[in-house]
Amino acid sequence: MSDSEESAVAINPGAAAVALFGVLAGIILSSAAGFPTPAGFPADAAIVTNIGYALFDIGEGTVPVEGFLATFLIIGIALDVALDSAVYLAKREDDGTIISALTGGGNEVVDGEVAGTADTEAEAGLDHGGDD
Amino acid sequence: MVPVEYYLLLSSAVFCIGLYGVLTRRNALYFLMSVELMLNAANINLIAFSLMWGNLTGQTFALFTIALAAAEVAVGIGIILVLYRNFGDIDVMDAATMRW
Amino acid sequence: MVSVSAYAQAIVLLPFVSFVVALFARDNLPKGGAYSGIAATAGSLLLSLATLAAVYGGRTVNETFYTWAVGTGAQDWTLSFGALIDPLSALMLVIVSLIALLVHVFSLGYMNDEGEEDLPRYYAGLGLFTASMLGFVIADNLLMAFMFFELVGLCSYLLIGFHFREPGPPSAAKKAFLVTRFGDYFFLIGVVAVFTTFGTAAFAGAESFPHLAEAALGGDATVWTPGNMAESTWFTIVGLLVLGGVIGKSAQFPLHTWLPDAMEGPTPVSALIHAATMVAAGVYLVARMYGFYVLSPTAMGIIALVGGFTALFAATMGVVKQELKQVLAYSTISQYGYMMLALGSGGYVAAVFHLTTHAFFKALLFLGAGSVIIAMHHVEDMWEMGGLKNKLPVTYWTFLAGSLALAGIFPFAGFWSKDEILYETLIHGLNEPLLLIGYVFGLLAVPVTAFYTFRMVFLTFHGEPRSDLARDPHPVRWNVKGPLSVLGVLAVVTGGINLVPVKKVLGIKGIDVLHKWLNNDWGGIEGLSSHHYAKIGPYESGYLFGGEAATVIAGAAVSLTLALAGLALAWRLYGVADPAEHTAKLGQIRELLYNNYYQDEYQVRIADAVRDAASGADTFDQGVVDGVVNGVSSVSLLSSERIRRVQTGIVGNYALLLTLGLTTLLVVFALIGGWFQ
Repeated sequence: MSDSEESAVAINPGAAAVALFGVLAGIILSSAAGFPTPAGFPADAAIVTNIGYALFDIGEGTVPVEGFLATFLIIGIALDVALDSAVYLAKREDDGTIISALTGGGNEVVDGEVAGTADTEAEAGLDHGGDD
Repeated sequence: MVPVEYYLLLSSAVFCIGLYGVLTRRNALYFLMSVELMLNAANINLIAFSLMWGNLTGQTFALFTIALAAAEVAVGIGIILVLYRNFGDIDVMDAATMRW
Repeated sequence: MVSVSAYAQAIVLLPFVSFVVALFARDNLPKGGAYSGIAATAGSLLLSLATLAAVYGGRTVNETFYTWAVGTGAQDWTLSFGALIDPLSALMLVIVSLIALLVHVFSLGYMNDEGEEDLPRYYAGLGLFTASMLGFVIADNLLMAFMFFELVGLCSYLLIGFHFREPGPPSAAKKAFLVTRFGDYFFLIGVVAVFTTFGTAAFAGAESFPHLAEAALGGDATVWTPGNMAESTWFTIVGLLVLGGVIGKSAQFPLHTWLPDAMEGPTPVSALIHAATMVAAGVYLVARMYGFYVLSPTAMGIIALVGGFTALFAATMGVVKQELKQVLAYSTISQYGYMMLALGSGGYVAAVFHLTTHAFFKALLFLGAGSVIIAMHHVEDMWEMGGLKNKLPVTYWTFLAGSLALAGIFPFAGFWSKDEILYETLIHGLNEPLLLIGYVFGLLAVPVTAFYTFRMVFLTFHGEPRSDLARDPHPVRWNVKGPLSVLGVLAVVTGGINLVPVKKVLGIKGIDVLHKWLNNDWGGIEGLSSHHYAKIGPYESGYLFGGEAATVIAGAAVSLTLALAGLALAWRLYGVADPAEHTAKLGQIRELLYNNYYQDEYQVRIADAVRDAASGADTFDQGVVDGVVNGVSSVSLLSSERIRRVQTGIVGNYALLLTLGLTTLLVVFALIGGWFQ
């Protein structure tokens, strides 16, 4: 890639976001007439209670909704996995024999240090986040 | 009742603000926050259509999205940590080794 | 009960499996793949014998296994693979698989024990070679035969060039491939001509091309000929085109030059090439479509003359050669010349008979030569040998048996078959002066053959050792002696399958087994029998001295006397304790013979003459054909080199591209959906 291309990309990538907003807004406004009037919920309906019923598939609710018990459980497991993996990623091997699974470019974690990386106090502070 | 297209406009505005952050920021933490914004734009959409059809499924879904966003942040923070260890910085432009 | 046709497929597939195994298992095989090859060829041999027994029981096969292309419209030809198992092919199957088995066993001694490198490649080549030859033998149509014919050529290329790191073998391999290819080119045109003319290339049955040709000549059928040419002329041309492939493969004059060079290959390979596979393929092809050739007296005459001339011509070159295998190479050319002479002069059975006996004694001689070469630590010059008789008794006695058979000495196998060839040529030649010339050639080659054969035997085994190597030869093991012994016995007794002269002279019935066999006495396929060929053939028999028996005795006496004379001369010149070179006595002829009649030189000159055309074609190939190919690849290389720059590895760029892509998509859909309309 030439330098000019790189700088062109670096100068104003945010313009793409603005352009996307323009297009989206245009589409939404031009098709606004096609949307029906919002049905809304019954005035006396307890929305939070209904959501609670839906989450546990209880079926007592008054507002139409589907059951989400399976989704609820799956999301629970996913959260757990995500937390565990976050802990794993944040973990540091103090004996320095393990190469982190996400180490890029062949850098090896040696004695708690990244090869070729300067040691800082901030790093030591980060260290406490994941382990134990 | 507020017509649904206003919600959609709001949602796309939030989305594009998040996108703007992703495109312009180099700091990974800003990145993560921007992605959070984009996710919430999706939530707004879900809730808007929930209101439009008078059906609670969209709202329940938005709840799940929030839970997933939490998971995503957890993993994202972990990745940022590793990024920092490997590159000594959390500038996303530096982490360019995963290519051809 | 498994059908005969299933046997036929298994016979071909077994060596092919051994080829695949050797190819892919490579270094994991014991003995470099020798055992799998031996097992496969042994299986083929057993099944071939079962097939032989089945044909003896009258069960023949002529069926198509697989049709791989069907024409449309006027050209409704079907291109297929099938098997034709009749007495001829059953006999040939046994010969090929037997020789292949013995060659595999011998290779254990010649290749494995000598510590050769890269054995899986060698055994893969042998397996494919055997499989292609067996496939060629069972082929039921000319196109299938052609395909396997080419495979045989390819394998010979691979095996002759086995020691490709040395300078000689690759060049010899290329020569063998190109020279036979030159002949095959005519063969290919011949195949196309057969298809165009008859619309079929089947060998046997009512719809086969020999049968259609016979009917066309008899006025019972019409076939296409170019420009309303007379059918007989056109058939002659087609026959001669196919003959081009035969002349190349069977090393007949003038395309014989590849064969002596092919001695660069490992000796067991030479045995396989000479005795059972490559060279035999040509003669077998003529025998296979003999019903077509006998319809054309001109083609028959040409075959006979080429064969007779080659027999004598090659024999004379064998006289002065110094290397053991070179002598055998020229004798092979000469012997196949005899077979062609027999085929050309109507001696179908005689040719097959000689093909059989020659397969055994020539395999024996080559393997014997291989044994001598092992003993001599790969020195092949006969002047370095001598006196090996006592050191290598098994090799000596078997080699002697093979030599006596080759020289045509009574009662060894070669005597019976060669004598029958000469006899057939003589009785047909009495009414046909052209054949008489062939007969004279063949007769003159007899003493020359005996002479060079025994020159070889005396120089190698008799007299005093002429070098240190010969004084202390390397011992050979069972895996060399075993095949030699089997073939030694066969070289002595194979003549017994066809004792026609004895039958004719003494009147004992039933001892001409091969005649009855090929005459479909025990069952066969209609139209593929020797009496059918004799009936539609162009020749009539004539006899000397007022009778058949007298002619037989006279012919045999003449040829045996000549052979003994050649033997005696060799004995006188070389059968002494310390033989000297006598080639100087030949004078100017000596140089001519040493240089193989300058055959290579003139062929090189012809090749040089077309160099300009070749370089033009090369320019076209390099510039246009390769240019297009290289252009396509360099365009894709270049563009991919550019396009991969998109993958910067920077997340922001990917996000930008995604955003732009989404925007573009949205705009496109919006435009389609009604904006600006």
